Amino acid sequence: MVESGIHITGVGTALPGPPLDNAMLGRFFSNGRVFEQWIDTFVGTRTRHLAVDLDTGDVRYSLADLGETAGRRALAAAGVLAEDIDLVVMGTATPDALMPATVNLIADRLGIDGVPTYQLQSGCTGAIQALDVASQMLANGRGRTALVLGGDVCAKHVDLGIDPEKLAPSELVNIVLFGDGAGAVVLSSEPVADAPLIRRVLVRFTGRNRAPGQVVEWFGMADRADGRVAFREDFKAIEEQVPAMSVEILEELLAGESWLAADLDYLLPPQLSVRMTEQIVKQLGVSNAEEVSCIADTGNAANALPFFQLERLLPLMVSGQRAITIAVESSKWIKGGIALEKV
Amino acid sequence: MSVRTVADFVVLLHEELGLELGVEDVSLGFDEVPGWDSVHLLRLLTVLERETGRMISVPDVLGAPNLRYIYELAVR
Repeated sequence: MVESGIHITGVGTALPGPPLDNAMLGRFFSNGRVFEQWIDTFVGTRTRHLAVDLDTGDVRYSLADLGETAGRRALAAAGVLAEDIDLVVMGTATPDALMPATVNLIADRLGIDGVPTYQLQSGCTGAIQALDVASQMLANGRGRTALVLGGDVCAKHVDLGIDPEKLAPSELVNIVLFGDGAGAVVLSSEPVADAPLIRRVLVRFTGRNRAPGQVVEWFGMADRADGRVAFREDFKAIEEQVPAMSVEILEELLAGESWLAADLDYLLPPQLSVRMTEQIVKQLGVSNAEEVSCIADTGNAANALPFFQLERLLPLMVSGQRAITIAVESSKWIKGGIALEKV
Repeated sequence: MSVRTVADFVVLLHEELGLELGVEDVSLGFDEVPGWDSVHLLRLLTVLERETGRMISVPDVLGAPNLRYIYELAVR
């Protein structure tokens, strides 16, 4: 059966370079043995990929490079060509430059032209926000096929000249949590057999009167030496607030579709760290749903994460199955989620 | 600095980790230690190995119930 609506017809992702395990990361600490065991215990991430070569300091991949690869793979997976794309929406916290927007560099490289393009300044809900904008535009007749992208490259924040042991915990935690990557999906407003249907998208800002859980600064010629920390997290606030927000997102999506938790076949939980995701899944309490996570292999690749999860989900889903993706943006507390169904 | 007493350990926690603790605080559970974050454990382990010149069992430290337990692992 094919139902009208917005379908996900192809997914593609890209990771820079080889996987870096905890032992490789530990070489940058005078006490790598301790570092490796600490990260295994408290973070749980096994590998991540970085755009910067840690041995040479060379930045080998830009976000445009990764976005282009992911976009090309998504187009191929969906069986569409660049000229079929009617609009492009991208989410990122770390554009290669503020101008031109990275989305337009990627569109250019893919051979996409003459269509609306948007880039959202976004964090861990960026994929959901971009997907929301694109699917609403398709639903309103602004085209039939959209390319949605998300990704981050943290090379700008990887300073090989600093001693990690002198970093504050709020900075150090970034070294162990994050990874680089990009992902993309193709959406279609035309009925496509075997493609999951987007039943509902939730995007909600909930940050009024709440201090940011994460701050990423940007610098220019006048303020680049003023000593501000470029990238910091209030991980305690995140640990406290993200699980409860995740439960609220799940409940709202289930209620919106009149689904019961027991109806859920797959759960794509927030991907903060392996340990955090384990805690969140426990609190969500939908043991009947199969968890689809990528965090142990990719690290926290922020705007790219839901694409990696979707890439793992799509081959698993069979007709009649339902999935929910949950994401939380902790910089200023945004809820995000998608309810999917393969009809 | 060398760590021989709990008081030395409290000074080290202040100088190396920036934690303002009293001797009595080292017996608290980690959830109750003011300003404590699991990232501190990474720094503390590294500093203790440097100061004592000894390898400390990482699994033992990671499973420690409080700071006093870690102090005892480091000095015994």
